[in-house]
Amino acid sequence: MQLPTPTSVHSEEESHKIEKMKRVVRRIKFESELDLNFGERVADKAYGQKLLSCIQCGTCSATCPLAHYMDYTPRKIIAMTREGFKEEVLNSLTIWLCASCYSCYVQCPRQIHITDVMYTLKREAIQMGFHPKRLPIPILAQEFYKRVLKDGRNTESWLLVSLYLRTNPFIMLREAILGLKLFLRGRLTIGREHVKRRDQLHTILEHKKGEAPL
Amino acid sequence: MHGNGHNGTVRIGFYICHCGHNIASIVDVKAVSEYIKSLSGVVISCEYKYMCSDPGQELIQKDIKEHSLNRIIVASCSPLLHEHTFRTAVEKGGLNPYYFQMVNIREDVSWVHTDMKAATEKAKDLSRAAVQRVFHHKSLETKHVKIHPDVLIVGGGIAGIHAALTLANAGKKVYLIERNPTIGGHMAMFDKTFPTLDCAACILTPKMSQVKNHPNIILWTYSEVAKVDGYVGNYKISIRRKPRYVNEELCVGCMDCIEKCVYKEGKTPDEFNVGLSKRKPIYIPFPQATPQIVVIDRETCIEFKSGRCKKTCVEACDRKAIDFKQKEEIKEIEVGTIILTTGYQTFDASRVPFYGYGKYPNVYTSLEVERLVNASGPTGGELILRDGRHPKTVGIIHCVGSRDKNTNRWCSRTCCMYSLKLAHLLKEHTDAEVYNFYIDIRAAGKSYEEFYDKLLDENVHFIRGRVAEVSDWAVRPSEEGKLIIRAEDTLIGIVRRVPVDMVVLAVGMEPQADSQDVRRMFNISCSTEGFFLERHPKLAPVDTFTDGIFIAGACQGPKDIPDSVAQAGAAAAQALILIDSGEIELEPNTAYVVQNECSGCRTCLTICPFTAISRDEAKQKAFINEALCKGCGTCVAACPSGAIKQNLFEDEMIFSEIDGLLKMESPACC
Repeated sequence: MQLPTPTSVHSEEESHKIEKMKRVVRRIKFESELDLNFGERVADKAYGQKLLSCIQCGTCSATCPLAHYMDYTPRKIIAMTREGFKEEVLNSLTIWLCASCYSCYVQCPRQIHITDVMYTLKREAIQMGFHPKRLPIPILAQEFYKRVLKDGRNTESWLLVSLYLRTNPFIMLREAILGLKLFLRGRLTIGREHVKRRDQLHTILEHKKGEAPL
Repeated sequence: MHGNGHNGTVRIGFYICHCGHNIASIVDVKAVSEYIKSLSGVVISCEYKYMCSDPGQELIQKDIKEHSLNRIIVASCSPLLHEHTFRTAVEKGGLNPYYFQMVNIREDVSWVHTDMKAATEKAKDLSRAAVQRVFHHKSLETKHVKIHPDVLIVGGGIAGIHAALTLANAGKKVYLIERNPTIGGHMAMFDKTFPTLDCAACILTPKMSQVKNHPNIILWTYSEVAKVDGYVGNYKISIRRKPRYVNEELCVGCMDCIEKCVYKEGKTPDEFNVGLSKRKPIYIPFPQATPQIVVIDRETCIEFKSGRCKKTCVEACDRKAIDFKQKEEIKEIEVGTIILTTGYQTFDASRVPFYGYGKYPNVYTSLEVERLVNASGPTGGELILRDGRHPKTVGIIHCVGSRDKNTNRWCSRTCCMYSLKLAHLLKEHTDAEVYNFYIDIRAAGKSYEEFYDKLLDENVHFIRGRVAEVSDWAVRPSEEGKLIIRAEDTLIGIVRRVPVDMVVLAVGMEPQADSQDVRRMFNISCSTEGFFLERHPKLAPVDTFTDGIFIAGACQGPKDIPDSVAQAGAAAAQALILIDSGEIELEPNTAYVVQNECSGCRTCLTICPFTAISRDEAKQKAFINEALCKGCGTCVAACPSGAIKQNLFEDEMIFSEIDGLLKMESPACC
């Protein structure tokens, strides 16, 4: 009797996928690959040393409405931050998926300001250029920041254009009609909005340069 | 100055202790020693690694003899730890022990400072203050007080019961006071006990009846302590005996009256069954209640509410025990020692709104489940939920209210083990699937880990993750009609939704609601959590800072039955030490009146908390009874003529100490 070969059970594509999953990968972390001060640095920014008192109970993950989509649950992010897994943490999707709903923050039995930790990590990831290239969330943050830095105010139409250009320009075409409607009702402006004395703003910002967070 | 040895000159010996690295790592002991040597009156100044060691003490004794020292100062740890040690050493050296003064440079200096230079300066200041103070020290006699042999025990749970029996068996007379109608406490409510699974009632009720029948124990249930006066060895206690409206001498506990009560069915939530059943206004808490005496609840009895009851209970009682005219009674007793075993209360689960207690009927607290699985419980031991169903799946949520900065920070120690026990009992009663949601399993006790092993073998689910939410919001057909527990399985790293029929909240232990009132009444301290504070967490775990008052059981901190019993035994032994030694040494820190300066104004008479001051009407002067004076200093501060002085704390001593701190030469010392 001839036993069925794997190809007779799975399609070629499926078996390729399974083969890929089954591939043996070496997974180990050497202490020399870690950034051992990372946890303390983040804790200093994110409201004191509370981050370090995490007992890994998982309440944050279980309250999080978006945990199902995250690559690491919020609890894991805290553990990895504490232990100095800087690259993994800053490259994770989790920090970008955090919607700042503050559910975890309310229920955490150690009163860790998890949402603020996520913000700190997001800032660090942007500064290090560690985020996925076309993920809209960090790009929106960057563009917003740039615009406010320049004008002292945000012009929404310009912000949207620069966001779509850097992520997916085709969405701009899809959203064009909505944009037109918003424009007709005065919700979007074409001209750049700005504060009156921009030179003064720039002087202040020049003075504060180098005092960026983390 | 009297008692200053030959020629009336003061000859001071100063010793500074390294305490290993405890002091020497922050304070430059050599510099302090050399500085003190330069002060007037100091004959010897030296440093030593451990002053409290035998060679350290012998050093003091040798120097007293060789150098005719008449004042000794040791700069080391807290007087609480070693003042007695050094006073004894000084006495052995042939000097009155009250010529000794201690300077605390460990708790007050080295342990609280990091700057070595500043710490050394502070140590110098404190030492100089002591040098100036000892010039005014006097020779004093140690006071002794007799210890009354009777003991008061407050709280009739397992700890109180055990302590009472231990003392009574040693032949001491014990008053056991319990505010509920029966003794037994929380333990009487439990079904079985971990890890041996023996039934709580089977091991408790024999002890309860021993208490009832012991000739040396006076048991007053339904009673509370109203007032505490006196001091170690001589406490005067007022006990408020609440009226039961049933004569305790006549009632035999036949319960005919309960049956004949005009209420055919109970209407009031039954306290003993944590509200899971109803009781009548006339009741006995549970079948093995001790004493077996009926009690009438004034709040719900028709006779008390309207005065127009048919009083069928009175008719039913052959022995005419029911007495609606009974009044509250105050009993005055005298005891020498007191043991507080006032126990705990469980955490109110409705304080954690995410778990739905009080919102979903099938969410229970662990104490409710104890009653639910108990054969004498509201359902006769059959596990029927509030909605009438039998559970097929049960979720037990650990750490409810515990280990949480928003509620109680501490671990309640018992919840892991009782949750395991309930998991076993629930599986045994219903064959349900049982899920434990835990943060950490703390099974540190004799045979506890083995019990955990047993539960793993019984295929109980253990999910490591704190539950975020219990809800009835179904997102799958399989979740319809169930309670859904949402938690992260942290060991697997994924969020899980577990639908169950019944949720058990493992509520933690917290101090009794009135623990602060009790603390004030007995003049003891509480820790920040509100549990009674022991004198030393390791070496004096059942003593308090008030002599003659001891604590045992969960009033001192969360504790399981074996630990409570062990502590109760220890507290009884501490009380026995005092009773059998017959007397206790007291500090001679009593106040006295300088008769010439007293104007007889009576100010001190009214404010003395120990009623130690009386007025000699013939001489028109105040007089302090040394035996009653506790040295609180209230009269000293209040006397408008400055006529009252206190031994060990005389004005000259305090002022010269302050001068020393401020680097001012005190006139008296030169």
